[in-house]
Amino acid sequence: MREGKGLRQVVVSGLGCLSALGHDAGQFRQALADGVCGIWALAGFPDDALKLSVAAQVQGFKPETHFSDSEMPLLDRHVQFALVAAREAVADAGLSPEELKSAAAVIGTGCGGKDTDEITYQRLYKENKSRVHPVTIPRGMPCAAAGQISMQMGITGPVFTVSSACASANHAVSQAVMLIRSGLVDVAVAGGADAPFTFGLIKAWEAMRVLAKDTCRPFSADRSGMVLGEGAGMVVLESLDHARSRGARIHAELAGIGMSSDAGHITDPSVEGALSAMTSALKDARIAPGDVDYVNAHGTGTRANDVSETQALKTLFRDHAYEMAVSSTKSMHGHALGAAGGLELIATIMALQENLAPPTMNFTEAGEGCDLDYVPNASRAMNIEVALSNSFAFGGLNSVLALRSA
Amino acid sequence: MSQEILDAVVAAVARQKNIPPATIKPETSLEQIGISSLDAITIVYEIEDAFDVEVPNDKLESLKTVQDIVDGVAELMDAGG
Repeated sequence: MREGKGLRQVVVSGLGCLSALGHDAGQFRQALADGVCGIWALAGFPDDALKLSVAAQVQGFKPETHFSDSEMPLLDRHVQFALVAAREAVADAGLSPEELKSAAAVIGTGCGGKDTDEITYQRLYKENKSRVHPVTIPRGMPCAAAGQISMQMGITGPVFTVSSACASANHAVSQAVMLIRSGLVDVAVAGGADAPFTFGLIKAWEAMRVLAKDTCRPFSADRSGMVLGEGAGMVVLESLDHARSRGARIHAELAGIGMSSDAGHITDPSVEGALSAMTSALKDARIAPGDVDYVNAHGTGTRANDVSETQALKTLFRDHAYEMAVSSTKSMHGHALGAAGGLELIATIMALQENLAPPTMNFTEAGEGCDLDYVPNASRAMNIEVALSNSFAFGGLNSVLALRSA
Repeated sequence: MSQEILDAVVAAVARQKNIPPATIKPETSLEQIGISSLDAITIVYEIEDAFDVEVPNDKLESLKTVQDIVDGVAELMDAGG
């Protein structure tokens, strides 16, 4: 970490996550190192009802082991994920109730309470019931996860939801960084959660024609699209001074944030938008492009994203683009939409901690226009001091985080 | 039948791009009239719905002209019975 002047420095002191790669950060760390692909046959839906065949679903999640009977009716699946990950991050940071009281919580979600919505619509339109459950609104509202995290952890500072599709978590983390830098709070819980495996939402994704038919192969010639994932990734952020004053273990410095909007097409990615967000993040962190060792790419595995993102990386980093490692961990945990940035931030921090670039799994041969070092099929030991984590969303909404080793 | 499909495709393309149907010919290139991927899946969705067929994802990429859509749908209808 480099001692900065001016703005308060922000560090990461707690990690928590839940995904197809396991139920906690320890399992996630191991799976990334081992190159485990958490993509399996879609479970939980009648055969032949959906075209989607593969998914990165959380395996063996038993909400009753995390929540009491009285809590359960209020908790949509994405809120359950958010709470489990936030509890882990807060425990990892070792925050006291007093420190949590004045903290902020900024939680990203792309989909919100879709499961709750669909249960409701099923009752009304399919079962022809005339009434719905009384807690339908508080269970399914987009800010449900933020509210529940605040209530369960006694967080009484600024608490709100950020929604920008696949960039939700990165945008949420960026808002939390700004709150800490401004001095409004010393501590924030931030990240994202999503649970998109509902019948109607899968149908909607199928209609977009961007889902892979076999598996997620970012940057490969034979890639056929993205694989939906689910889960949550949460971190505890705090000012460097605050972390030091309480003797906290610092995982990494969250050195910079960069945000941009394409103002172009609602779904087609733009090189300029991605380039602008990455450039801003480096500038904010006062990092020279040549100092970046690793980029956790947005890397969805769609035809459009992977070429466009590679082009943006080459424009920004020039010759250095070929010297640094670039990988897409979506090849392992799938595309968890509003949770993606949270999971990938944690993957990036682990890369810094372990000096180990996580791989792009399922890589066969480089796709046209994809000619960087994507760390194919096995993690790689290498010195990683500085890293970026990219999220580019539908709507043309881009958010990039820059990190430095602790 | 293929005239019926052509009329439907022309109408769908005209609606999606907000251009007069008379300007759209069978040989009209989809790229030339600015059909994005989102336009393409919307047009194909409307045609699928109208003719009760399903155009596979990998077929979509090979559709370059209005006639390609017409031929693709006609082929699928023949195959379907």
